Amino acid sequence: MIISYKWLQEFLKISLTAEQLKEKLTFSGIEVESTTTSGDFLKQFIVAKVTFCQKHPDSDHLSITEVFDGKETHKVVCGAHNVAEGQTIAYAHVGTDFGDFKLKKAKIRGAESAGMICSERELQLSDEHEGILVLPSDAPIGTNLADFYQIADTVYEVEITPNRPDLLGMLGIARDLSAQLNIPLQKHPLYPVENNLSMPTADDFRVVIAEPDLCSRYYAVRMSNIKIAPSPIWLKDKLKIADIKPINNVVDITNYIMYVLGHPLHAFDERCIDGRQIIVRKSMPNESFPALDHQTYNLTGAELVIADTQKPVALAGVIGGLNSHIQDSTTDIVIEAACFDSSITRRTSHNLKIFTDSSYRFERGMAEQTCVDIAINAAKLVAELAGGKVVQVIDVYPGKKPLRVVKLRPVRVKKLLSLNIDNHKMINYLQNLGCKFLGANEEELSFEVPANRKDLTREIDLIEEILRLHGFDKVDKPVAAPQMMNSDIFYARRKIKQYLVHQGFQEAVNITFTDQTNLDMLNLLAVDHRRQTVRIINPQGESFSVLRSTLIPQLLKNVALNLNHSNENVKLFEMNKVFTRREEKLPFERWRLTGVLTGKSKPIDWSEKSGNICYHDVKGIVEGLLDIFEVEINKLNLTTEPFYIQNGGANLFVKSQYVGSIGKLDQRVLSKFDIPNEVLLFDLDLDALFTYADFSQKEYTHISKYPIVSRDLSFVVSEEFTLFDIVKWIKETNPKTIKSVIPFDEFKGKQIAEGSRSLSINISLNSESKTLTDEQIKSIMQRIIDRLKEKFKIEMR
Amino acid sequence: MNKMLSLLYAPRFPAGENKKTVDEQLQNILKNATSEIEVAKAFHELNDLKSRYIGKKSELNGFMQQMGKLSATERPVFGKKVNDVKAAIESLLEAANERIKENIYTQSIATSSFDFTMPGRPVLMGNLHPLTIIQNQIEDIFLGMGFQIAEGYDVEDDFHNFDALNHPKDHPARNLADTFYIGKDTLLRTHTSTVQIRTMEKHKPPIKIIAPGRCYRNDKFDLTHSPVFHQTEGLVVDEGISFKDLSDTMDIFLKKLFGSEVKSRFRPHFFPFTEPSAEIDVSCVACGGNGCPTCKNSGWIEILGAGMVDPNVFDILGIDSERYTGYAFGCGIDRLAMLKYKLPDIRLLYENDVRFLRQF
Repeated sequence: MIISYKWLQEFLKISLTAEQLKEKLTFSGIEVESTTTSGDFLKQFIVAKVTFCQKHPDSDHLSITEVFDGKETHKVVCGAHNVAEGQTIAYAHVGTDFGDFKLKKAKIRGAESAGMICSERELQLSDEHEGILVLPSDAPIGTNLADFYQIADTVYEVEITPNRPDLLGMLGIARDLSAQLNIPLQKHPLYPVENNLSMPTADDFRVVIAEPDLCSRYYAVRMSNIKIAPSPIWLKDKLKIADIKPINNVVDITNYIMYVLGHPLHAFDERCIDGRQIIVRKSMPNESFPALDHQTYNLTGAELVIADTQKPVALAGVIGGLNSHIQDSTTDIVIEAACFDSSITRRTSHNLKIFTDSSYRFERGMAEQTCVDIAINAAKLVAELAGGKVVQVIDVYPGKKPLRVVKLRPVRVKKLLSLNIDNHKMINYLQNLGCKFLGANEEELSFEVPANRKDLTREIDLIEEILRLHGFDKVDKPVAAPQMMNSDIFYARRKIKQYLVHQGFQEAVNITFTDQTNLDMLNLLAVDHRRQTVRIINPQGESFSVLRSTLIPQLLKNVALNLNHSNENVKLFEMNKVFTRREEKLPFERWRLTGVLTGKSKPIDWSEKSGNICYHDVKGIVEGLLDIFEVEINKLNLTTEPFYIQNGGANLFVKSQYVGSIGKLDQRVLSKFDIPNEVLLFDLDLDALFTYADFSQKEYTHISKYPIVSRDLSFVVSEEFTLFDIVKWIKETNPKTIKSVIPFDEFKGKQIAEGSRSLSINISLNSESKTLTDEQIKSIMQRIIDRLKEKFKIEMR
Repeated sequence: MNKMLSLLYAPRFPAGENKKTVDEQLQNILKNATSEIEVAKAFHELNDLKSRYIGKKSELNGFMQQMGKLSATERPVFGKKVNDVKAAIESLLEAANERIKENIYTQSIATSSFDFTMPGRPVLMGNLHPLTIIQNQIEDIFLGMGFQIAEGYDVEDDFHNFDALNHPKDHPARNLADTFYIGKDTLLRTHTSTVQIRTMEKHKPPIKIIAPGRCYRNDKFDLTHSPVFHQTEGLVVDEGISFKDLSDTMDIFLKKLFGSEVKSRFRPHFFPFTEPSAEIDVSCVACGGNGCPTCKNSGWIEILGAGMVDPNVFDILGIDSERYTGYAFGCGIDRLAMLKYKLPDIRLLYENDVRFLRQF
């Protein structure tokens, strides 16, 4: 449904801006889908006066003029033949935007010209360009043309929910807004309806309803001596807003009234009604019907039709017939204002795929009571615009029912909404919507619901209306509890545990108490910060005398216990707090994540031999863990931790900060824990790690649709260079195109010189924007090789 | 053969072959190719036949080479004949190729033996510790009800562990025997209730938290005691919080944790920091309430301590105890784990025997 800001003003004096009205509509349940403003173009032009006009000395068709726009006088060269001093005209100042160009200051044959006097075509009013537009002499100088023509408007396309057919007319929307804004509806030519027509009931023309269940009312007004003609401008303009094509005065009137009052109506040429009878009946199988859309439909017997004694003349509520429509020669008409069953209208419309403004409304349900209003309004407008007079009024009304009465318990309103709204206010809300307050007793209020509000049948429906008008925003929001939880870290801890479980780890939980000698067993130096232990004054014996500062000793004891029970393959981790002394009253509590691994790297498998867990297994696990949080190790060096074997472990750095270590434990340390087997370890400072973790919301990154190219490089390089540095160096060659650099072979010995190794590296290349050509690939690879030669003195194999 | 063709061919081919017409020669080639291709059994045989019959050195290609000698009008007629034969041989080769492929496939199915009972390649998942599993469950239940998770320190001071929780100075819980001390007034927290205080110091109501964590009491390890154990504390403070909210929340919590058929009851109790205070029992999860060793034949098991926050606590923290009300509760995670998993000995939880850990 399309509604216009300006048109609405006819019904009620809205003081809101177009933008505010849009908000109001949306929060009253009428969702605005789009907004367009008209008149922006014409706002640029100013009503101005030609104060001086003289032929251009160097031209036979140009004139030099002076134009006063109410503020200033401009010199304008004008090419129109009809320009003359004293005229009121439309002036475009320098800078006016015509869409395809912007008006500039110009020099025309030596004469300065600042601005333009416009023709109708230049103003986009018509195609007229024979001369300039001359405005009435009393047009107010200085006003813009949009205001002068009063065409500035905002048009909203709104979505009407299926339960509210009453909003399918301008008046319905105006009524709802009047309730929303608590401002009265204005008197309007179509509302309230004043029936001052003479209502002859001559009985020479009959209406018969053969299907009273499907047509609850048929109100017909016959008029004669009509003169069909084009509609006046105001009516055409209204239909233009509604996006309805003007046809002729009678048809336009029916459409206009439908658009204002929401209830469709139709007009027949009385000449075409055979037998002077209108019959509302079911179609007959294979009956053919020529519709106004110039299609002929083969009916099935399921449709409801309006027929005369010979033929169907309309599909009830859907579309009129080509055999009975208003033509230029029409003089006598029958106006139909009826109420058809919504289900059959919907079925007919959908089965025949005819969707009209009429079917749209009837399938949502129209009210019997409004038939009279629309018919009388139509008859009056026809008389006014097309002449003619009413010769007969027929009202067949088989579905007559009293208006619905709905009761409302204020207690119930409070219970449902938790809002204190006094009775007076509730009554006012509902009255504004057109409900009639019938009276109250101790518990309940009674309302008569208007005919076109078929959605208001129960108490709960009234409560909904009360809340809608009172405002959803009146319902208090709870005071939100402050954010006191660090969800990122909370879920990160869980994620890590889950990750390690997926890698085959068991989670260990050890008690907080430990013993100073455990630190000796780890070979910790006297100055090691983990020696700053927190002692308990009243411990349960020496072995429970300090709070642990590392998780390693207990995990090693756990390994020993399991090895004792012949569990050769053990992977355990513990995530818990460690404690160290510090200046402050309370000690330093930090979260640590430590894992121990021993035995085979994979479970026993008949089809594949598995090696012992090695450094690279642990490194892979830790790298995978860091990957979850997009943390990248940017530096590695040989570990300084005293419990790893020499050259058997590494310290890990993220953003150059130490976050932990990985490696193979020293046999001499292990033997202190009675462990004869090899054990590998990772030991991470979880709090440090989380400071570098990326917890931000993941966002989609574009996936290239161009092929990935894979190339291998094999070369010999001195062992003094780490793979980490080599990979980094390769990536830096072209970070955008090089997607991955993965080593797949390392070889030392025979053909390779002492102190060197052979490396094979797979490089994959991919562009976001193109398929890489052979030349491009070659050139990138060559650059990589050149850079490697330069920095690491590699020799290609 | 029509007159024109015979005229064409007769004088132009080598003497020996003159006896046969070109048509006959072509047909011969096709016939030989057909019989040989039809019996071919392997791809390499097909390759041989292909080069022999339609390859560069083939007889058929020889005919093609001679095309150049023909006139412009003869060439297309002759070329078509040769090409037709070539095409026929190509399609024979294609069909034979399919036939051999199919044969190899059928044979491979027929001859392969497959012991589908051999074990799959093992994928070994680890396990979360049972204490973690229970703690996660508790957290998820309360997170679902809009609670947040708060954390505190394991090492606390007297104020947060006792004073602020309305423990009188001479309260027996302060006995050296129950509490591990680190310093003069620093200690290992004896309950997670300390987090209540830490939270209320830092945040204004509304507050809705649970605080899982480690607690310490000077109990010797035995079947049911550990000097280190785990608790979850809960605290809700807002305007209009009533005993009914506590009761509802506990009911939902216990039903989510133990199943919808579980019953619960409140028993009056004493906690220094709640008033009224209660202990909450659930119908025995082992026997369903009929009486068994787990519930010492009572049919009920004590699960939670709870109550309305004592106004004194609010007063100590400067929270308006007239405006705000609240409830608090606490339960032991170890105890819940023992109940749910029917553990006979609390020490199993801290030994980290893989045979135990694998079970959950």
